[in-house]
Amino acid sequence: MLDLRVPTGFFFTIVGLILVGMGVFWPSERAALTDSNVNLYCGLVMLAFGLFMLGVSRLSKHQGS
Amino acid sequence: MKLAAVDYAILLVYFGFVLGIGWRLRKKIATSGDFLTSGHSVPVWITSLAFLAANLGAQELVGMSGNGAKYGIITAHFYWVGAVPAMIFVGLFMMPFYWGSRARSVPEYLKMRFDEKTRALNALSFAGMTVFSSGISMYALGLLLKLILGWSFTTSVLCSAAIVLAYTFLGGLTSAIYNEVLQFFLIVMGFSPLAIMAVMKAGGWGGMSARLATMTLPGGMNGSVMTHSWKYLGHTNQNPMGIEVFGLVMGLGFVMSFGYWCTDFLVIQRAMAANSMSASRRTPVIAALPKMMMPFIVIVPGIAALALSQMAVGYDLPMKNGGPDYDQVLTTLMAKFYPAGMLGVGLTGLMASFMSGMAGNVTAFNTVFTYDIYQTHIRPGRPDHHYLTVGRVTTVVGVALSIATAYLAQYYNSINDLLQLVFSFVNAPLFGTFLLGMFWKRTSGHGAFCGLLSGTVAAAITHGCTLAEGKGGWITTLYEFPSSMAQNFWIAIMAWTTCFIVTILVSLVTRPRPEKELHGLVYGLTELKHDEGVSWYKRPVPLAIAIAALALFLNIWFA
Repeated sequence: MLDLRVPTGFFFTIVGLILVGMGVFWPSERAALTDSNVNLYCGLVMLAFGLFMLGVSRLSKHQGS
Repeated sequence: MKLAAVDYAILLVYFGFVLGIGWRLRKKIATSGDFLTSGHSVPVWITSLAFLAANLGAQELVGMSGNGAKYGIITAHFYWVGAVPAMIFVGLFMMPFYWGSRARSVPEYLKMRFDEKTRALNALSFAGMTVFSSGISMYALGLLLKLILGWSFTTSVLCSAAIVLAYTFLGGLTSAIYNEVLQFFLIVMGFSPLAIMAVMKAGGWGGMSARLATMTLPGGMNGSVMTHSWKYLGHTNQNPMGIEVFGLVMGLGFVMSFGYWCTDFLVIQRAMAANSMSASRRTPVIAALPKMMMPFIVIVPGIAALALSQMAVGYDLPMKNGGPDYDQVLTTLMAKFYPAGMLGVGLTGLMASFMSGMAGNVTAFNTVFTYDIYQTHIRPGRPDHHYLTVGRVTTVVGVALSIATAYLAQYYNSINDLLQLVFSFVNAPLFGTFLLGMFWKRTSGHGAFCGLLSGTVAAAITHGCTLAEGKGGWITTLYEFPSSMAQNFWIAIMAWTTCFIVTILVSLVTRPRPEKELHGLVYGLTELKHDEGVSWYKRPVPLAIAIAALALFLNIWFA
């Protein structure tokens, strides 16, 4: 069975990278009421989550074999 | 609201993954069981999140944030009094029979426990309801995208239907479950930043409470009711929802929530897909943990929106026809707080939850149709691959019927309301039947059937004799409720009580099934395995106690 952690991990890694890219290259991209660089912070969280999912999946595969 | 290229890119990446998951899972489908019930093979963390996410539709996201702005934290009772106790109950006390009986669907359990007519009644009403709900999801999605992005209704409906069809047709239930989990993460990641930013902007929880306490709500009440969940429930005229403690605890907490979480095949199907008895029991219990946290993501932003509208920061509640348009609260907050990038994530989350709402209904519909209607009444005794084909064809038909319902809902709003009402009557008494069926071995098939029918009639009569917000009272008006919420609670209470009493009375005068046919189906005739020597968080009971304690804490903290 497909390990769901792999697609989840890749998905959030990609979206995290896109958002971090937005946050770094267009830091002044703001909505009317935002005071902070939302894209950068949320992107970092998603990137971390994506990599964590991929890591856990790799680890459990390693232990299984 | 205008989307930038990066928002479209995120949307495309997501749908690429959704279809990719379906494509990868297609090879695992060899039997009708693989397609319709995932062959009892899904790990428990996945079934738990799917159990939660199957119910977390976009109507809930949009509706609950609107309710937050309209009623305040009292809305959290749908989670802390409604869902959580019912989820713990179904896990501890009902999954042993659902999973242990090896039934493939909830109607099939009714057949094993009672008889064919009870199953047929449940299967037909459930099949109708799922197609209808899936159509309403599509309709709501079409409306929303038209309103905020200016997309055409037809394009939105057909595109979303095509994507849902593609991944459910390829990977069946497993594919629907996997995508529900992906959607759940996306909702949490996409909407918790909104909640955090809106609350911070409004001065934190303390600042919000202080500000709301100085305002007067549209109904003339003081705004401090918005930040207390129990304090103003003594009488219906103290809170904007128009409810009181008994109606809330009995109607919502007991009858309605237990009726939904304990008998609705859409959610039970996720727990049935788990890979062991213990895992199937833990599925709803584990799901209760994120469930009780959802108010912070879906309701609190609505309360913050109300507080923000009282401050001079440049946020006003959206208006329609001279009153606040609560359904637009969430999307206006997104537009004010999210720059290009996060806006794409939030919008993708919203669309994803509409679609998984549809997919959940379609996968429940094809199972009930294939096993409980087709295999039982139309063509029994064919080889399994025949039923696999029927399951796939039913998936296509289910999506087509949903599209038809979406268009019907667009043109005939009154049919839409009427259908919703009829389904609520049919559903109201269900929990009475299951409770007696599982815990009283004397309950007979005739009893269950008569109980269900009389409960539905009782619900209709209660609606016909009471009036609330101009609804009901089509027989005569004996009583007027302060809100339609209170009316719904009382319809449920009447239906459940009638079903419960009639089932007992009819069972006492009819012949029960012999005990030897009831093993694995009824409490007292089912052996419950104790998982000795496993750590506490892998055992259903200790896990349930910990989660119940946390729910109690939240109730007290926000009282």
